[in-house]
Amino acid sequence: MSADFDTQVRVAIYREFVRTARAPSAARLAEVTGTPLPEIREALERLHSGKALFLQPESREILLAAPLCTVPTPFLVRTADQSYFGTCIWDALGILAMLHQDGTVETSCGCCGEALSLEIRGGNVTGSSSIAHFALPAKQWWADIVFT
Amino acid sequence: MLLFRAEEHIDRWCSKWSQPRGGTLSIHQAWRLSQAWFHNKMDPDWHRATLEEAEAVFSEIGLTGPFWSLRP
Repeated sequence: MSADFDTQVRVAIYREFVRTARAPSAARLAEVTGTPLPEIREALERLHSGKALFLQPESREILLAAPLCTVPTPFLVRTADQSYFGTCIWDALGILAMLHQDGTVETSCGCCGEALSLEIRGGNVTGSSSIAHFALPAKQWWADIVFT
Repeated sequence: MLLFRAEEHIDRWCSKWSQPRGGTLSIHQAWRLSQAWFHNKMDPDWHRATLEEAEAVFSEIGLTGPFWSLRP
């Protein structure tokens, strides 16, 4: 299967994810692309291997299509008409950057749990003097992307 | 990457979890990193950043030094 097909699947994933705020199932991707389900599953595995997305370990359905995450996390992103979850503050801000929309990120201090809110308006971030912290050096990020 | 109220909260978190202190970004740096990394993620012609492209983004945002090095 061609790289063009994988791109078609990837774009369909993001369109559906942004529209519904949930990762589309492999069956839904088969439906929207008019492609047999086995070919969709093969494309998902290739995209996973290429680190373009991250599949759930058992079901092989989509868990992450960065910056979007399909399960609830402590990083809630609200736009005017939808809400999403990011896996970390980088991804949460990345959702608004990807959508080119204003919005808010609601999270909490990693230490004490105090609520923290960031606001994006007109391409600028406001509302907090909080600090982002990477636990692992950059070269190790993709070895343990959850802990990072 | 987690968000913290203040520097001392990062120190407390590192102590609690027996982790060395990592790398920190101001919220403005974090926003610029997110913009650079994800602004075109939905585009058909998006590609994973090459090592050189990622290094250029880090450098532009001021993320320099061993912690931010991507080279083995």
